[in-house]
Amino acid sequence: MRSVLIVDDDPFIRKLVSTTLEDVAGFRLHEAANGIEAVELASEVHPELVFLDIDMPRMDGIEACRLIREQDNGAAKATIVMLTAAGAQENETRARTAGADLFLTKPFSPLDLLRLVDELA
Amino acid sequence: MEDMPGKGTITDVSVLQERLATVERSAAEKEQQLERYAADLRETFKRERERRHELRRSYMATVRALCNAVEARDAYTGKHAERVAAYGMEIARVLDAPFCDDPEVEFGFLLHDVGKVAVPDSILWKPEPLTPEERTLMERHSLVGWEILREIDFLGEAKLVVRHHHERWDGAGYPDGLAGDAIPLAARVFSVADVLDALTTIRPYRPPSPLAVARDMIAESSGTQFDPEVVDAFMQIPLTRLDDIRREVG
Repeated sequence: MRSVLIVDDDPFIRKLVSTTLEDVAGFRLHEAANGIEAVELASEVHPELVFLDIDMPRMDGIEACRLIREQDNGAAKATIVMLTAAGAQENETRARTAGADLFLTKPFSPLDLLRLVDELA
Repeated sequence: MEDMPGKGTITDVSVLQERLATVERSAAEKEQQLERYAADLRETFKRERERRHELRRSYMATVRALCNAVEARDAYTGKHAERVAAYGMEIARVLDAPFCDDPEVEFGFLLHDVGKVAVPDSILWKPEPLTPEERTLMERHSLVGWEILREIDFLGEAKLVVRHHHERWDGAGYPDGLAGDAIPLAARVFSVADVLDALTTIRPYRPPSPLAVARDMIAESSGTQFDPEVVDAFMQIPLTRLDDIRREVG
């Protein structure tokens, strides 16, 4: 089944994103709380879309992004959307170098989330 | 409080302050995120409402276009469909019928004769009484109308009005010969409104009757052609109100 991976250390944000996207486009939703979990889960479920927070304990989103891109499976081709804090231009540049495709600034618009998933479906 | 090592206390306080700051920051972020959801929800609702109105307007325009196409052929009936729709909705309001605020049913009133597009001019405009064969062809218009509209979902109940607008309370009508409550209420209401307008407008074969005369004629057919309850409701409408409706539509 096609899947979407939601990565954020804040369970509130994970719950919000997954509730927003539930049953929208027939994707299975997976959640991870940090970069290490995200990389492991990505190699398992080969998501087509990854929402990736940047500031996380243990491994941040930028490093996770780089490692997902290096995987020799379907996950490497995922659309990776970074969730960034406003005004963090430096992070954006680093994330782009690490292979991020798109950026959503927090607080993000739920409609943008839905459109992204809808376009992919 | 008992004595504690001073340094330890200061460290504890600064750690707690730092944690508090983190919690507060996180709470503020959640709040902003929820506000964003609320804003999107509001915008989505507004857009959805506009679309609903737009859709309603295009439904109405579509129904009117179809209705005009039917009436364009028949110089005598003029705004017959619109008058009948207005009379019908007035009766529905007095009856307190479940559909009295339902635009679908009004659409059905407006489109009742759409099947006449399949009736040849020679029959539609014939001033003399129709032969049995011609009558059969003429009477097909209820079923033809229903067939024409069958696939249009938004017309819902309206299609039943189109199909059954010539049924009679005593079962002697067409196309299905339904009797009594088996005839949809909207169609029972419609037939009173239809006859009222037919009697009060000029036809090739007779002059128009005054409203009061037409009303008495309808009362005489209560229980045979018409549902007695619908006729009772109709009789409660003051003649002046019926006259106003006729003038308003034109």
